[in-house]
Amino acid sequence: MLDDLILGMAGAGGDGVVSAGESLLSAASSEGYHALMTKSFGSQIRGGESSCRVRLSTKKVLNPGGALDVMVALNWDDFFKFGAELPLSVDTVLIYEEKAGPPPETLKARGVVPTEVVPVAIAELTKKSAGTDKAKTSVVLGLLSGWFGIPSEAIGRGLKKKFGSKGEGLLEANEKALASGIEYARAHPLRTPHVISKPKGPPGSKMLCDGNDMCAAGALFAGVKFFGGYPITPSTEVMQTLTREIWKYGGTVLQCEDEISGIGATVGASFAGRKSMTATSGPGMDLKTEILGLATIAELPLVILNVQRGGPSTGLPTKPEQGDLYQAAFSGHGDVLRPVLAPTDVEDTFKTTVDAFNIAEQYQTPVIILSDQEIAQRKEAVDLIDTSRMEIIERRAPTEAELAEKPYARFALTESGISPISHPGMRGGTYLAAGIEHNEKGDPTSGGTMHAKMNEKRFRKLEPLKQRTDLFELSGNPKAPLALLAWGSTAGVAREAFQLATAQGHDVKLLVPYLLYPIAEQVYAGFFESVKHGLLVELSHQGQLYRMLRMFIDVPKGLKSFCRSGANPFQPAELVARLVELKGLPS
Amino acid sequence: MNAPVFQAKDYKSELKPIWCPGCGDFGVLQGLYRALSSIGRPPHEVAFISGIGCSSRIPGYTTAYGFNTVHGRSLPIAQGVKLANPELLVVVAGGDGDGFSIGGGHVPHAVRRNMDLTYLVMDNQVYGLTKGQLSPTSPRGLETVTSPFGSLEEPINPLLYMLAYGAGFVAQATPADMPGMTALIEEAIRYPGFAFVNIQSPCVTFGEDDQQLKAHKAKQKSLASLGHDPSNQLAALDLARAYGTELYTGVFYRNPSPPPTYESLVKLRQTEQAKKARPRNQILDAYLQK
Repeated sequence: MLDDLILGMAGAGGDGVVSAGESLLSAASSEGYHALMTKSFGSQIRGGESSCRVRLSTKKVLNPGGALDVMVALNWDDFFKFGAELPLSVDTVLIYEEKAGPPPETLKARGVVPTEVVPVAIAELTKKSAGTDKAKTSVVLGLLSGWFGIPSEAIGRGLKKKFGSKGEGLLEANEKALASGIEYARAHPLRTPHVISKPKGPPGSKMLCDGNDMCAAGALFAGVKFFGGYPITPSTEVMQTLTREIWKYGGTVLQCEDEISGIGATVGASFAGRKSMTATSGPGMDLKTEILGLATIAELPLVILNVQRGGPSTGLPTKPEQGDLYQAAFSGHGDVLRPVLAPTDVEDTFKTTVDAFNIAEQYQTPVIILSDQEIAQRKEAVDLIDTSRMEIIERRAPTEAELAEKPYARFALTESGISPISHPGMRGGTYLAAGIEHNEKGDPTSGGTMHAKMNEKRFRKLEPLKQRTDLFELSGNPKAPLALLAWGSTAGVAREAFQLATAQGHDVKLLVPYLLYPIAEQVYAGFFESVKHGLLVELSHQGQLYRMLRMFIDVPKGLKSFCRSGANPFQPAELVARLVELKGLPS
Repeated sequence: MNAPVFQAKDYKSELKPIWCPGCGDFGVLQGLYRALSSIGRPPHEVAFISGIGCSSRIPGYTTAYGFNTVHGRSLPIAQGVKLANPELLVVVAGGDGDGFSIGGGHVPHAVRRNMDLTYLVMDNQVYGLTKGQLSPTSPRGLETVTSPFGSLEEPINPLLYMLAYGAGFVAQATPADMPGMTALIEEAIRYPGFAFVNIQSPCVTFGEDDQQLKAHKAKQKSLASLGHDPSNQLAALDLARAYGTELYTGVFYRNPSPPPTYESLVKLRQTEQAKKARPRNQILDAYLQK
């Protein structure tokens, strides 16, 4: 019995492999499995190739995983369009549509040829059982259920949910197709059985969601009242979710005419005293930059989600990359310190979003959440999040007494650097917010002395963030000589690599920062003290966090950047192999 | 009649305008104070949103809440303010460059959403703050520092644009006629929806001679004196074509039956959806797999 099973499927756009993956995920999660699904498409609007991977486990799933245990190819052309996303090993069970013919030579050229290659006449089975060829993926689900032990009752319930309302005929056809797949698998056992164990958790205990869902839910939990945005892949689902939900809580979503307007309206709503957010991806981030600066100088709370995709320019709109860290930290003119947070998986996107709102409101600053396409769009079955201890912070408004006492100074130079903030409608609190530099009262100034004081204030107020050790995850022996560091979606791979390396007896520790900027010098310095060798793993060509750390602190000579361009996901085993290699080197 | 609760001076801040002596914007500012006084909302319930340019400095010269934002983005920002708090009186102010050049893309969308905003454009046909360059409303042939041999472009026509986009209230004014301008600003603010006033506000430093207050006085013709019916949209479109040659003042178009504002529809939706709200600690239950 297996604790973990990774399945892949690829086909043409109309084949419904993604929909089949969703059925699988839904069935597994309703049974109490931890499960995760990533999908990958060509960038066609309809049609073209599509694929998905589903990882099922009796334990928490940390990442989409490496080589597939099972691969279903409905045709070879579409399968070969997905390289690194659907890696095979000699142990992969490769199932393919018989009609497509035997595996072409290209498979050999890719280096590994699975030992168990199983042709199934999927289309023919479908026609025979269901009397239509529209139910192919139900045959596939039957095969997967029969061969790998995924509960067929749950899959059946999923079919009812999906097709129940679409007419008896369609549901019946799919049910028959499912049964014929199961039957076929029983009659043709695999050479090497791969059956997954029963789940540990009770049924019905899992949430099924993706990172964008958790960002929207986190925003609602934090009390978002305004969202202004413009559709852009892969962040649009946040706006789509909020525009169904936000009205219930007295808020508004405005789909704007462009990215600039999106952040503009958001800044306006924050000026008017409401918790506000916008979401975008790289090209939209480029356009929003000027108004980010406005929010910084006017000290307005604001949350900006950037779901990173491959860049520059249009780049790889449907693939993950960690190439926007420099942009998040450094974009825009002037001396600016702008907090940047990064979630590392679907579940912690919720808490990271709440943290972002809290930091924005407490410190009156725009905060950027750097998610990426993988965690934003991978569907996952996760445990229900305990929110009972999550705090919600509101911006500090001037009290009636403070407003009555003296003329209100919106940008008062306080010890903490945080000045009480009024909003339109508040009697006694009127002031001029502006992009132009101001004095304490808010009146425009072009004097160097006041500008220096205000810059100093805007930096000083964010200093306490660097002490937030709760925004860092540290695992393993704190004195370990071997280190792994990773952020964003890559952290999930690093976590598994850390577990593997520890299990192999290596004295290793792991640091995952949720706070990427400002650089928390002391947290890193403490971590690096014992480090002789280590890897900072990033899915970008340059390895931007590695270079940023070197800009701000001394990094051990033995700490190397392990990075590569987006859409080439890391696998846990290769991180362990690289670590072991490093260990042999002199420090 | 009782004296207004707030006098014009109650809206005037202590900041001294940076404008050149004789700038048309001084008149606009005075008219604005007076209009606000007639309307009578306390300054803290008023928000002035502007972009960048000479006229965009206006928010700072009032005692209301002000947001002097970035170039060309006053309309999106003002919409966020209005949606966040529909109770506020929101006035957007700026120049022709701010509104029709760098910010031109936002105008049709602000109009079609029809929030209860008043948009005052101080149109002087030139870039003043950057010292005398060509603006989107500069006449063809105008010689400026960026068009030393004369402009090769047609100016845009703000009145026609606004009418074509479907604005419910479109007017033109000049500070050469203070009572007329003040009344128009007041009427625009009172209009329940998106209202636009193109104010021909002379630039004394870089403007042409025929664009100064004296010339305006001689040239202006009130639409009322022409017998124009402001509920007649087609007649308004026809008259608006004279922008750049004639100086018509008054209301070109006023929708006789104003449609509901965006924010009133938002309010309806919020009320209708409110019953579906979950307590904060149950928001995530929506994702539970049964």
